[in-house]
Amino acid sequence: MAEYHLTSPLSEEDVRKLKIGDTVYLSGNAFTCRSRLQRYIFDEGNTLPFDTSDRNILIHNGPIVIKENGSWRLVSFMPTSSIRFEKWGEKSVKEWGLRMIVGKTTMGEQTAQAMKEMGCVHVSPRSVSPNLWIDSITVEDVYLFDELGSIEAAWFFKINELGPFIVDIDSEGNNYFDRLDESIAESKKNALEQLGIGEEFKFTKLY
Amino acid sequence: MIRTEIYENALFETIKRGATVISPDVRDAFVRAIEKESNEAAKRGLEATLRSMDMSRERENPLCVDTGWPIFYFKVGNRCELEGGFVELENAARRAVAKATKLGYLRATMKHPLTGYDPGNNIGMNIPDFTYKFVDGDSIEMSYAAKGGGSECFGGTRHRIVAFADGIKGIEKFVIDSFVASARAGAVCPPSVLGIGIGGTANVAANLAKEAACLRTVGSRHPDPMFAKIEEDLYRALNSLGIGILGAGGNTSVLAVNVEYAYTHIAGIACATSTNCMVARRASTKIDANEKVTEMQSPMWFGDR
Repeated sequence: MAEYHLTSPLSEEDVRKLKIGDTVYLSGNAFTCRSRLQRYIFDEGNTLPFDTSDRNILIHNGPIVIKENGSWRLVSFMPTSSIRFEKWGEKSVKEWGLRMIVGKTTMGEQTAQAMKEMGCVHVSPRSVSPNLWIDSITVEDVYLFDELGSIEAAWFFKINELGPFIVDIDSEGNNYFDRLDESIAESKKNALEQLGIGEEFKFTKLY
Repeated sequence: MIRTEIYENALFETIKRGATVISPDVRDAFVRAIEKESNEAAKRGLEATLRSMDMSRERENPLCVDTGWPIFYFKVGNRCELEGGFVELENAARRAVAKATKLGYLRATMKHPLTGYDPGNNIGMNIPDFTYKFVDGDSIEMSYAAKGGGSECFGGTRHRIVAFADGIKGIEKFVIDSFVASARAGAVCPPSVLGIGIGGTANVAANLAKEAACLRTVGSRHPDPMFAKIEEDLYRALNSLGIGILGAGGNTSVLAVNVEYAYTHIAGIACATSTNCMVARRASTKIDANEKVTEMQSPMWFGDR
Protein backbone atom coordinates (compact mmCIF):
# COMPACT_ATOMS: atom_id res chain seq x y z
CA MET A 1 0.00 0.00 0.00
CA ALA A 2 1.57 3.19 -1.26
CA GLU A 3 1.57 6.77 0.02
CA TYR A 4 0.91 9.70 -2.34
CA HIS A 5 1.11 13.47 -1.99
CA LEU A 6 -1.24 14.97 -4.58
CA THR A 7 -2.06 18.52 -5.65
CA SER A 8 -5.45 19.66 -6.95
CA PRO A 9 -6.61 20.12 -9.66
CA LEU A 10 -6.05 16.36 -9.91
CA SER A 11 -5.49 14.71 -13.27
CA GLU A 12 -7.11 11.44 -14.32
CA GLU A 13 -3.65 9.88 -14.16
CA ASP A 14 -3.24 11.06 -10.53
CA VAL A 15 -6.27 9.09 -9.40
CA ARG A 16 -6.19 6.08 -11.74
CA LYS A 17 -2.97 4.95 -10.02
CA LEU A 18 -4.57 4.93 -6.56
CA LYS A 19 -5.60 1.58 -5.10
CA ILE A 20 -7.79 0.82 -2.10
CA GLY A 21 -5.74 0.95 1.09
CA ASP A 22 -3.32 3.58 -0.26
CA THR A 23 -2.69 6.69 1.84
CA VAL A 24 -3.03 10.19 0.39
CA TYR A 25 -2.15 13.71 1.53
CA LEU A 26 -3.80 16.53 -0.41
CA SER A 27 -2.83 20.06 -1.42
CA GLY A 28 -4.35 22.73 -3.64
CA ASN A 29 -7.99 23.73 -4.22
CA ALA A 30 -10.99 21.97 -2.72
CA PHE A 31 -14.60 22.82 -1.92
CA THR A 32 -17.16 21.59 0.61
CA CYS A 33 -20.76 20.51 0.35
CA ARG A 34 -23.54 18.71 2.23
CA SER A 35 -27.12 17.61 1.36
CA ARG A 36 -28.64 21.06 1.00
CA LEU A 37 -26.23 22.15 -1.74
CA GLN A 38 -26.76 18.95 -3.75
CA ARG A 39 -30.52 19.23 -3.39
CA TYR A 40 -30.34 22.90 -4.43
CA ILE A 41 -28.43 22.04 -7.60
CA PHE A 42 -29.65 18.60 -8.66
CA ASP A 43 -33.25 18.54 -7.35
CA GLU A 44 -34.21 22.22 -7.46
CA GLY A 45 -32.66 22.98 -10.84
CA ASN A 46 -30.14 25.66 -9.86
CA THR A 47 -26.73 26.08 -11.43
CA LEU A 48 -23.50 25.79 -9.48
CA PRO A 49 -22.21 29.37 -9.30
CA PHE A 50 -18.54 28.43 -9.70
CA ASP A 51 -16.24 26.38 -11.89
CA THR A 52 -15.04 23.03 -10.52
CA SER A 53 -12.45 22.28 -13.21
CA ASP A 54 -9.56 23.76 -11.18
CA ARG A 55 -11.13 22.54 -7.93
CA ASN A 56 -11.97 18.87 -8.46
CA ILE A 57 -11.70 17.68 -4.85
CA LEU A 58 -15.04 17.71 -3.02
CA ILE A 59 -15.00 17.43 0.76
CA HIS A 60 -18.27 16.35 2.36
CA ASN A 61 -18.24 18.56 5.41
CA GLY A 62 -20.05 21.26 7.35
CA PRO A 63 -17.25 23.31 8.91
CA ILE A 64 -17.47 25.81 11.75
CA VAL A 65 -16.29 29.10 10.26
CA ILE A 66 -16.59 32.45 11.99
CA LYS A 67 -15.90 35.95 10.71
CA GLU A 68 -13.13 37.70 12.61
CA ASN A 69 -11.83 41.17 11.74
CA GLY A 70 -13.36 40.94 8.29
CA SER A 71 -11.86 37.57 7.36
CA TRP A 72 -12.98 33.97 7.80
CA ARG A 73 -11.50 31.80 10.54
CA LEU A 74 -11.93 28.03 10.42
CA VAL A 75 -12.76 26.90 13.96
CA SER A 76 -13.32 23.22 13.25
CA PHE A 77 -13.33 20.73 10.38
CA MET A 78 -13.99 17.00 10.09
CA PRO A 79 -15.12 15.11 6.96
CA THR A 80 -18.74 13.99 7.39
CA SER A 81 -20.60 10.85 6.27
CA SER A 82 -20.75 10.53 2.49
CA ILE A 83 -23.19 7.61 2.29
CA ARG A 84 -26.19 9.87 2.96
CA PHE A 85 -25.40 11.71 -0.31
CA GLU A 86 -25.42 8.51 -2.38
CA LYS A 87 -28.56 9.70 -4.16
CA TRP A 88 -26.53 12.52 -5.77
CA GLY A 89 -23.16 10.69 -5.93
CA GLU A 90 -23.24 9.80 -9.61
CA LYS A 91 -24.46 13.26 -10.65
CA SER A 92 -21.86 15.09 -8.57
CA VAL A 93 -19.02 12.97 -9.96
CA LYS A 94 -20.17 13.32 -13.57
CA GLU A 95 -21.58 16.85 -13.72
CA TRP A 96 -18.96 18.47 -11.48
CA GLY A 97 -16.07 16.53 -13.02
CA LEU A 98 -14.78 15.41 -9.62
CA ARG A 99 -11.58 13.40 -9.25
CA MET A 100 -11.85 12.84 -5.51
CA ILE A 101 -14.48 12.88 -2.77
CA VAL A 102 -13.32 13.12 0.84
CA GLY A 103 -15.75 11.82 3.46
CA LYS A 104 -16.58 9.26 6.10
CA THR A 105 -18.61 5.99 5.73
CA THR A 106 -17.64 5.38 2.05
CA MET A 107 -20.31 5.49 -0.71
CA GLY A 108 -22.49 2.99 -2.59
CA GLU A 109 -22.42 1.02 -5.81
CA GLN A 110 -23.85 3.70 -8.07
CA THR A 111 -21.22 6.26 -7.10
CA ALA A 112 -18.46 3.64 -7.34
CA GLN A 113 -19.65 2.85 -10.88
CA ALA A 114 -19.56 6.54 -11.85
CA MET A 115 -16.09 6.84 -10.31
CA LYS A 116 -14.90 3.89 -12.37
CA GLU A 117 -16.32 5.43 -15.52
CA MET A 118 -15.01 8.96 -14.96
CA GLY A 119 -11.78 8.37 -13.06
CA CYS A 120 -12.53 9.41 -9.49
CA VAL A 121 -11.89 8.00 -6.00
CA HIS A 122 -13.35 8.27 -2.49
CA VAL A 123 -11.04 8.70 0.50
CA SER A 124 -11.72 8.44 4.26
CA PRO A 125 -10.14 9.87 7.41
CA ARG A 126 -8.55 7.55 9.98
CA SER A 127 -8.83 9.89 12.92
CA VAL A 128 -11.05 12.57 14.42
CA SER A 129 -8.40 15.29 14.53
CA PRO A 130 -9.90 18.66 13.60
CA ASN A 131 -7.04 20.57 15.22
CA LEU A 132 -4.40 18.88 13.07
CA TRP A 133 -6.47 19.54 9.95
CA ILE A 134 -7.45 23.17 10.46
CA ASP A 135 -3.75 24.06 10.46
CA SER A 136 -3.58 22.67 6.87
CA ILE A 137 -6.57 24.64 5.59
CA THR A 138 -7.04 28.27 4.56
CA VAL A 139 -10.59 29.47 3.89
CA GLU A 140 -10.50 31.38 0.60
CA ASP A 141 -14.11 32.12 -0.26
CA VAL A 142 -17.70 30.98 0.17
CA TYR A 143 -20.61 30.54 -2.23
CA LEU A 144 -24.34 30.22 -1.50
CA PHE A 145 -23.84 31.37 2.10
CA ASP A 146 -27.06 33.41 2.13
CA GLU A 147 -29.11 30.77 0.31
CA LEU A 148 -27.96 27.69 2.28
CA GLY A 149 -26.45 28.94 5.55
CA SER A 150 -22.93 28.59 6.90
CA ILE A 151 -22.76 24.80 7.35
CA GLU A 152 -24.38 23.89 4.03
CA ALA A 153 -22.63 26.56 1.93
CA ALA A 154 -19.84 25.76 -0.56
CA TRP A 155 -16.60 26.81 1.14
CA PHE A 156 -13.46 27.19 -0.95
CA PHE A 157 -10.43 25.78 0.85
CA LYS A 158 -6.77 26.08 -0.01
CA ILE A 159 -5.31 22.93 1.51
CA ASN A 160 -1.72 22.06 2.29
CA GLU A 161 -0.77 18.40 2.90
CA LEU A 162 -4.22 17.67 4.35
CA GLY A 163 -4.39 14.05 5.48
CA PRO A 164 -3.75 11.23 5.94
CA PHE A 165 -6.75 9.75 4.14
CA ILE A 166 -7.17 6.14 3.07
CA VAL A 167 -8.44 5.35 -0.44
CA ASP A 168 -11.66 3.38 0.14
CA ILE A 169 -13.15 3.41 -3.38
CA ASP A 170 -10.65 3.28 -6.22
CA SER A 171 -11.24 4.01 -9.91
CA GLU A 172 -11.72 0.32 -10.65
CA GLY A 173 -14.76 0.27 -8.38
CA ASN A 174 -13.12 -1.69 -5.53
CA ASN A 175 -14.23 -0.87 -2.01
CA TYR A 176 -11.82 -1.15 0.95
CA PHE A 177 -14.69 -1.62 3.40
CA ASP A 178 -16.29 -4.44 1.38
CA ARG A 179 -13.00 -6.33 1.75
CA LEU A 180 -12.82 -5.55 5.46
CA ASP A 181 -16.44 -6.75 5.89
CA GLU A 182 -15.35 -10.25 4.93
CA SER A 183 -12.76 -10.49 7.71
CA ILE A 184 -15.12 -8.84 10.23
CA ALA A 185 -17.84 -11.40 9.36
CA GLU A 186 -15.36 -14.17 10.12
CA SER A 187 -14.32 -12.66 13.48
CA LYS A 188 -17.99 -12.07 14.29
CA LYS A 189 -18.70 -15.77 13.92
CA ASN A 190 -15.88 -16.55 16.38
CA ALA A 191 -17.00 -13.84 18.81
CA LEU A 192 -20.55 -15.22 18.84
CA GLU A 193 -19.27 -18.75 19.35
CA GLN A 194 -17.26 -17.62 22.35
CA LEU A 195 -20.47 -16.24 23.81
CA GLY A 196 -22.12 -19.62 23.26
CA ILE A 197 -24.19 -18.36 20.33
CA GLY A 198 -23.82 -20.88 17.54
CA GLU A 199 -24.77 -20.45 13.90
CA GLU A 200 -27.99 -22.36 14.59
CA PHE A 201 -29.28 -19.56 16.87
CA LYS A 202 -32.54 -18.01 15.61
CA PHE A 203 -34.45 -15.22 17.32
CA THR A 204 -37.92 -16.20 18.49
CA LYS A 205 -40.12 -14.20 16.17
CA LEU A 206 -42.30 -11.83 18.18
CA TYR A 207 -43.44 -9.53 15.38
CA MET B 1 -31.85 29.74 46.98
CA ILE B 2 -29.45 29.43 44.05
CA ARG B 3 -29.60 32.59 41.94
CA THR B 4 -30.22 32.53 38.18
CA GLU B 5 -26.89 34.17 37.33
CA ILE B 6 -25.04 31.42 39.25
CA TYR B 7 -26.71 28.47 37.52
CA GLU B 8 -26.85 30.15 34.11
CA ASN B 9 -23.12 30.86 34.17
CA ALA B 10 -22.44 27.30 35.41
CA LEU B 11 -24.56 25.92 32.57
CA PHE B 12 -22.58 27.89 29.99
CA GLU B 13 -19.25 26.75 31.46
CA THR B 14 -20.50 23.14 31.51
CA ILE B 15 -21.48 23.30 27.83
CA LYS B 16 -18.14 24.88 26.92
CA ARG B 17 -16.20 22.24 28.87
CA GLY B 18 -18.28 19.41 27.39
CA ALA B 19 -17.65 20.68 23.88
CA THR B 20 -13.94 21.40 24.23
CA VAL B 21 -12.38 19.28 27.00
CA ILE B 22 -12.08 15.51 26.82
CA SER B 23 -13.24 13.74 29.99
CA PRO B 24 -10.32 12.20 31.94
CA ASP B 25 -11.79 8.68 31.83
CA VAL B 26 -12.25 8.83 28.03
CA ARG B 27 -8.71 10.17 27.65
CA ASP B 28 -7.36 7.29 29.78
CA ALA B 29 -9.24 4.81 27.58
CA PHE B 30 -7.58 6.36 24.52
CA VAL B 31 -4.13 6.03 26.08
CA ARG B 32 -4.83 2.34 26.82
CA ALA B 33 -6.15 1.79 23.27
CA ILE B 34 -2.96 3.31 21.79
CA GLU B 35 -0.78 1.06 23.97
CA LYS B 36 -2.48 -2.12 22.82
CA GLU B 37 -3.04 -1.23 19.13
CA SER B 38 -1.11 -3.49 16.77
CA ASN B 39 -2.43 -2.01 13.49
CA GLU B 40 0.04 0.80 12.69
CA ALA B 41 -2.42 3.00 10.75
CA ALA B 42 -5.03 2.62 13.50
CA LYS B 43 -2.42 3.49 16.12
CA ARG B 44 -1.51 6.67 14.23
CA GLY B 45 -5.24 7.50 13.95
CA LEU B 46 -5.76 7.08 17.69
CA GLU B 47 -2.66 9.17 18.41
CA ALA B 48 -3.76 11.94 16.03
CA THR B 49 -7.21 11.97 17.66
CA LEU B 50 -5.72 12.20 21.15
CA ARG B 51 -3.35 14.99 20.06
CA SER B 52 -6.23 16.93 18.54
CA MET B 53 -8.36 16.42 21.67
CA ASP B 54 -5.55 17.78 23.85
CA MET B 55 -5.20 20.78 21.51
CA SER B 56 -8.93 21.52 21.85
CA ARG B 57 -8.45 22.17 25.56
CA GLU B 58 -5.69 24.74 24.84
CA ARG B 59 -7.42 26.33 21.86
CA GLU B 60 -10.85 26.18 23.48
CA ASN B 61 -12.42 24.85 20.29
CA PRO B 62 -14.80 21.92 19.71
CA LEU B 63 -13.43 18.38 20.02
CA CYS B 64 -15.35 17.55 16.82
CA VAL B 65 -16.96 19.77 14.20
CA ASP B 66 -20.29 18.03 14.78
CA THR B 67 -21.22 19.36 18.19
CA GLY B 68 -24.32 17.20 18.28
CA TRP B 69 -27.72 17.34 19.90
CA PRO B 70 -27.59 19.41 23.10
CA ILE B 71 -28.86 17.20 25.93
CA PHE B 72 -29.10 18.07 29.62
CA TYR B 73 -29.42 15.78 32.62
CA PHE B 74 -30.27 17.31 35.97
CA LYS B 75 -29.84 15.35 39.18
CA VAL B 76 -31.81 17.46 41.59
CA GLY B 77 -31.90 17.42 45.35
CA ASN B 78 -35.43 17.06 46.67
CA ARG B 79 -35.07 20.31 48.61
CA CYS B 80 -33.08 22.21 45.96
CA GLU B 81 -34.36 25.78 45.48
CA LEU B 82 -33.64 27.67 42.29
CA GLU B 83 -34.46 31.32 41.62
CA GLY B 84 -37.29 31.24 39.05
CA GLY B 85 -37.75 27.50 39.56
CA PHE B 86 -37.16 24.77 36.99
CA VAL B 87 -38.85 26.62 34.14
CA GLU B 88 -36.17 29.30 34.53
CA LEU B 89 -33.46 26.61 34.73
CA GLU B 90 -34.54 25.40 31.28
CA ASN B 91 -34.70 28.97 29.94
CA ALA B 92 -31.19 29.56 31.27
CA ALA B 93 -29.99 26.36 29.57
CA ARG B 94 -31.46 27.55 26.26
CA ARG B 95 -29.74 30.94 26.65
CA ALA B 96 -26.46 29.20 27.46
CA VAL B 97 -26.73 26.96 24.36
CA ALA B 98 -27.43 30.00 22.18
CA LYS B 99 -24.45 31.85 23.66
CA ALA B 100 -22.13 28.84 23.20
CA THR B 101 -23.28 28.60 19.58
CA LYS B 102 -22.67 32.29 18.94
CA LEU B 103 -19.15 32.01 20.35
CA GLY B 104 -18.29 28.99 18.15
CA TYR B 105 -18.13 26.36 20.92
CA LEU B 106 -21.14 24.70 19.29
CA ARG B 107 -21.98 24.51 15.59
CA ALA B 108 -25.51 25.59 14.62
CA THR B 109 -26.58 22.02 13.91
CA MET B 110 -30.24 21.77 15.02
CA LYS B 111 -32.77 22.25 12.21
CA HIS B 112 -36.51 22.02 11.65
CA PRO B 113 -37.18 18.34 10.76
CA LEU B 114 -39.37 19.10 7.73
CA THR B 115 -38.38 22.50 6.38
CA GLY B 116 -34.68 22.34 7.25
CA TYR B 117 -34.99 25.82 8.80
CA ASP B 118 -31.85 26.64 10.77
CA PRO B 119 -32.50 28.98 13.72
CA GLY B 120 -28.73 29.44 13.98
CA ASN B 121 -28.64 28.90 17.75
CA ASN B 122 -29.49 25.20 18.27
CA ILE B 123 -32.79 26.12 19.95
CA GLY B 124 -36.13 24.81 18.71
CA MET B 125 -39.14 22.60 19.50
CA ASN B 126 -38.14 20.13 22.27
CA ILE B 127 -34.46 20.97 21.80
CA PRO B 128 -32.39 21.11 23.99
CA ASP B 129 -33.65 17.95 25.68
CA PHE B 130 -34.00 17.80 29.48
CA THR B 131 -34.04 14.76 31.77
CA TYR B 132 -34.44 14.90 35.56
CA LYS B 133 -33.62 12.53 38.37
CA PHE B 134 -34.61 13.38 41.94
CA VAL B 135 -32.45 12.50 44.93
CA ASP B 136 -32.15 13.50 48.58
CA GLY B 137 -30.49 16.81 49.41
CA ASP B 138 -30.56 20.47 48.39
CA SER B 139 -27.92 20.68 45.64
CA ILE B 140 -28.17 20.24 41.87
CA GLU B 141 -25.86 18.32 39.52
CA MET B 142 -26.06 19.47 35.92
CA SER B 143 -24.69 17.32 33.10
CA TYR B 144 -24.41 18.32 29.46
CA ALA B 145 -23.95 15.68 26.76
CA ALA B 146 -23.40 16.32 23.06
CA LYS B 147 -24.80 13.41 21.06
CA GLY B 148 -23.15 13.39 17.65
CA GLY B 149 -25.00 12.84 14.38
CA GLY B 150 -22.72 9.98 13.32
CA SER B 151 -23.28 7.97 16.47
CA GLU B 152 -27.02 8.66 16.50
CA CYS B 153 -28.03 8.57 12.81
CA PHE B 154 -26.26 5.59 11.34
CA GLY B 155 -27.75 2.69 13.24
CA GLY B 156 -26.09 3.08 16.60
CA THR B 157 -29.47 3.60 18.24
CA ARG B 158 -31.73 0.57 17.92
CA HIS B 159 -34.18 -1.49 19.84
CA ARG B 160 -35.58 -4.99 19.73
CA ILE B 161 -37.93 -6.94 21.97
CA VAL B 162 -36.13 -10.16 22.83
CA ALA B 163 -38.23 -13.15 23.93
CA PHE B 164 -37.58 -14.64 27.36
CA ALA B 165 -37.01 -17.87 25.42
CA ASP B 166 -33.88 -16.26 23.88
CA GLY B 167 -32.62 -14.63 27.10
CA ILE B 168 -29.03 -13.39 27.41
CA LYS B 169 -28.02 -15.04 24.13
CA GLY B 170 -30.73 -13.12 22.31
CA ILE B 171 -29.66 -9.86 23.96
CA GLU B 172 -25.99 -10.39 23.12
CA LYS B 173 -26.72 -11.47 19.52
CA PHE B 174 -28.85 -8.35 19.03
CA VAL B 175 -26.07 -6.13 20.39
CA ILE B 176 -23.34 -7.67 18.24
CA ASP B 177 -25.43 -7.67 15.05
CA SER B 178 -26.41 -4.03 15.65
CA PHE B 179 -22.92 -2.84 16.42
CA VAL B 180 -21.26 -4.54 13.44
CA ALA B 181 -23.85 -3.06 11.07
CA SER B 182 -23.61 0.44 12.54
CA ALA B 183 -19.82 0.61 12.78
CA ARG B 184 -19.27 -0.33 9.12
CA ALA B 185 -16.91 2.10 7.44
CA GLY B 186 -16.79 4.12 10.65
CA ALA B 187 -20.41 5.25 10.50
CA VAL B 188 -20.91 5.64 14.26
CA CYS B 189 -17.35 6.94 14.78
CA PRO B 190 -15.86 3.97 16.66
CA PRO B 191 -14.21 3.17 19.04
CA SER B 192 -17.59 3.68 20.67
CA VAL B 193 -18.85 3.95 24.18
CA LEU B 194 -21.69 1.47 23.81
CA GLY B 195 -24.71 1.85 26.06
CA ILE B 196 -27.21 -0.97 26.42
CA GLY B 197 -30.62 -0.74 28.06
CA ILE B 198 -32.32 -3.95 29.10
CA GLY B 199 -35.97 -4.03 30.20
CA GLY B 200 -38.75 -1.51 30.70
CA THR B 201 -40.87 -0.32 27.81
CA ALA B 202 -38.98 0.33 24.57
CA ASN B 203 -38.49 4.01 25.44
CA VAL B 204 -37.27 3.18 28.95
CA ALA B 205 -34.71 0.78 27.46
CA ALA B 206 -33.69 3.42 24.90
CA ASN B 207 -33.27 6.10 27.58
CA LEU B 208 -31.21 3.76 29.76
CA ALA B 209 -29.04 2.90 26.76
CA LYS B 210 -28.45 6.57 25.98
CA GLU B 211 -27.66 7.40 29.60
CA ALA B 212 -25.31 4.39 29.80
CA ALA B 213 -23.53 5.63 26.65
CA CYS B 214 -23.38 9.32 27.51
CA LEU B 215 -23.13 9.48 31.30
CA ARG B 216 -21.40 6.37 32.66
CA THR B 217 -17.75 6.73 33.62
CA VAL B 218 -15.63 4.81 31.09
CA GLY B 219 -14.09 1.88 32.95
CA SER B 220 -16.89 1.60 35.52
CA ARG B 221 -18.73 -1.69 36.05
CA HIS B 222 -22.33 -2.47 36.87
CA PRO B 223 -22.47 -3.53 40.56
CA ASP B 224 -24.67 -6.55 39.81
CA PRO B 225 -22.34 -9.40 38.70
CA MET B 226 -24.89 -10.67 36.13
CA PHE B 227 -24.84 -7.34 34.29
CA ALA B 228 -21.12 -6.79 34.87
CA LYS B 229 -20.54 -10.14 33.14
CA ILE B 230 -22.56 -9.02 30.09
CA GLU B 231 -20.48 -5.83 29.98
CA GLU B 232 -17.21 -7.75 30.16
CA ASP B 233 -18.23 -10.47 27.71
CA LEU B 234 -19.48 -7.99 25.11
CA TYR B 235 -16.44 -5.71 25.58
CA ARG B 236 -14.15 -8.66 24.83
CA ALA B 237 -16.30 -9.93 21.94
CA LEU B 238 -16.67 -6.54 20.23
CA ASN B 239 -12.96 -5.80 20.55
CA SER B 240 -12.14 -9.09 18.83
CA LEU B 241 -13.94 -8.03 15.62
CA GLY B 242 -11.13 -5.93 14.09
CA ILE B 243 -13.38 -2.93 13.30
CA GLY B 244 -11.01 -0.37 14.83
CA ILE B 245 -10.93 3.41 14.74
CA LEU B 246 -13.40 4.78 12.15
CA GLY B 247 -14.09 1.22 11.04
CA ALA B 248 -10.93 0.95 8.95
CA GLY B 249 -9.42 -1.94 10.94
CA GLY B 250 -7.80 -2.15 14.40
CA ASN B 251 -7.92 -3.76 17.83
CA THR B 252 -10.18 -1.32 19.67
CA SER B 253 -13.77 -1.09 18.47
CA VAL B 254 -15.38 -0.10 21.77
CA LEU B 255 -13.90 1.97 24.60
CA ALA B 256 -16.56 0.66 26.97
CA VAL B 257 -19.75 -1.41 27.15
CA ASN B 258 -22.16 -0.10 29.78
CA VAL B 259 -25.36 -1.92 30.66
CA GLU B 260 -28.27 -0.55 32.68
CA TYR B 261 -31.55 -2.34 33.32
CA ALA B 262 -35.15 -2.02 34.41
CA TYR B 263 -37.71 -4.69 35.34
CA THR B 264 -39.70 -5.75 32.34
CA HIS B 265 -43.02 -7.28 31.33
CA ILE B 266 -43.41 -11.06 31.44
CA ALA B 267 -44.10 -10.89 27.68
CA GLY B 268 -40.64 -9.81 26.58
CA ILE B 269 -37.36 -8.01 27.17
CA ALA B 270 -37.00 -4.61 25.53
CA CYS B 271 -33.35 -4.14 24.55
CA ALA B 272 -31.85 -0.97 23.20
CA THR B 273 -28.41 0.16 22.14
CA SER B 274 -26.96 3.64 21.96
CA THR B 275 -23.44 4.24 20.73
CA ASN B 276 -21.55 7.34 21.73
CA CYS B 277 -18.76 8.44 19.39
CA MET B 278 -15.11 8.17 20.38
CA VAL B 279 -14.91 11.71 21.77
CA ALA B 280 -17.89 10.90 24.08
CA ARG B 281 -18.47 14.52 25.04
CA ARG B 282 -19.94 15.40 28.38
CA ALA B 283 -19.34 17.64 31.37
CA SER B 284 -20.94 17.97 34.79
CA THR B 285 -21.13 20.65 37.44
CA LYS B 286 -22.52 20.59 40.96
CA ILE B 287 -24.04 23.62 42.68
CA ASP B 288 -24.63 23.44 46.42
CA ALA B 289 -27.41 25.31 48.22
CA ASN B 290 -24.77 27.87 49.35
CA GLU B 291 -24.04 28.54 45.64
CA LYS B 292 -20.66 26.81 45.72
CA VAL B 293 -19.94 25.65 42.15
CA THR B 294 -17.80 22.52 41.64
CA GLU B 295 -16.66 20.91 38.39
CA MET B 296 -17.35 17.17 38.46
CA GLN B 297 -15.02 14.71 36.70
CA SER B 298 -17.93 12.43 35.89
CA PRO B 299 -21.74 12.77 35.96
CA MET B 300 -22.25 10.00 38.58
CA TRP B 301 -25.73 9.64 37.09
CA PHE B 302 -26.02 6.02 38.21
CA GLY B 303 -24.80 6.37 41.82
CA ASP B 304 -21.06 5.82 41.88
CA ARG B 305 -20.68 4.86 38.21
